[in-house]
Amino acid sequence: MAAASIAAAPSTVGKPAPDFVLRGLDGRNLRLSEFRGQVVLVNFWSRSDGDSRQQMPALDRINITYQRAGLVVLGVSVDEDLRRSKEFATAMGVSYPILFDTGTEIGQDYFIQKMPMTILVDRSGVVRYSAVGFRRGDERVYLDHIRELLRE
Amino acid sequence: MNFKLRTLTLCAALLATGLAAGQTPPPAQTPPPATDAAPQPADAQATPPAPAPDAPPPELKTLDQEVQGLKKDVVDLNKDLFVLQEELLFPANTQVALYISMDVGTFFALDSVTVKIDNKEVKNYLYTAREADALLKGGVQQIYLGNLKVGKHELVAFFTGKGPVERDYKRGATINFDKGVGAKYLELKITDRVPKHQPEFMIKDWE
Repeated sequence: MAAASIAAAPSTVGKPAPDFVLRGLDGRNLRLSEFRGQVVLVNFWSRSDGDSRQQMPALDRINITYQRAGLVVLGVSVDEDLRRSKEFATAMGVSYPILFDTGTEIGQDYFIQKMPMTILVDRSGVVRYSAVGFRRGDERVYLDHIRELLRE
Repeated sequence: MNFKLRTLTLCAALLATGLAAGQTPPPAQTPPPATDAAPQPADAQATPPAPAPDAPPPELKTLDQEVQGLKKDVVDLNKDLFVLQEELLFPANTQVALYISMDVGTFFALDSVTVKIDNKEVKNYLYTAREADALLKGGVQQIYLGNLKVGKHELVAFFTGKGPVERDYKRGATINFDKGVGAKYLELKITDRVPKHQPEFMIKDWE
């Protein structure tokens, strides 16, 4: 029943990734569509979510390994408390850009219902993979998809 | 009406996608079936002229040309529908278009612009480094397109960014304008005031 409800949940997979522009931890603004031509992993996370905390170091390793191959990892915080979210992101010290979404539009565009949510966007800007939650070992699934998209 | 237009646009886009993906051509373009069902003579060895190995058959070439023509028609149709949609959604008697341009930019690095019309926020735009750079190179961006009724209105724009010596900078500019029966065009201009070493923010009303 749960699987059926997940399958029926609206998804962006197969559709052009809704564009967004957000301010980053370093003060720069980044727009998703400006990474067209590269494979982009977008990770929506929340400071209060345990899975998100566990997932970030794994994504950091992926970023370090694959960024030279054309992968871009973007972490998007959806926390309302911007100050604490920034403190948390700084403490995590990941190598990829962390952006802050304090609105609701992006969450609606990507049908975010549970944290963390990870999506993969191919070089032409189409969402090719979407996953909700994180368990140890999920990074291997991400890698399979990433390698496939990088080869295209 | 809007729904109808969107549907038409979608149909046009689908048609374009289908053609681009090399879908089955229309039946009229398929090679004509052999009309003569008579069996081939036994001594057919001498008759068939060998086709050039690389040259496509003439019917395929014609078909390709027709597909290209159809693609062009779809693009033209899409363009016309877009223009029509703009005219319907933003008719000239209520249309207000707001543009932004930047001249020099030595004393200001643009980060964001917030626009309020009659005290209501209508646009908040964050600029990436690439977009700000495009403005510095002479680009003009349409930042807002909307509708306003005829009469007096007030537009306030807030600019944030880095000012001289990398200081955080926030400035506003206001314009009171009269919306007539024609379309209204306004331009946010960011320029350098060299004598004061400060940026200047203006709103120009294009009559």
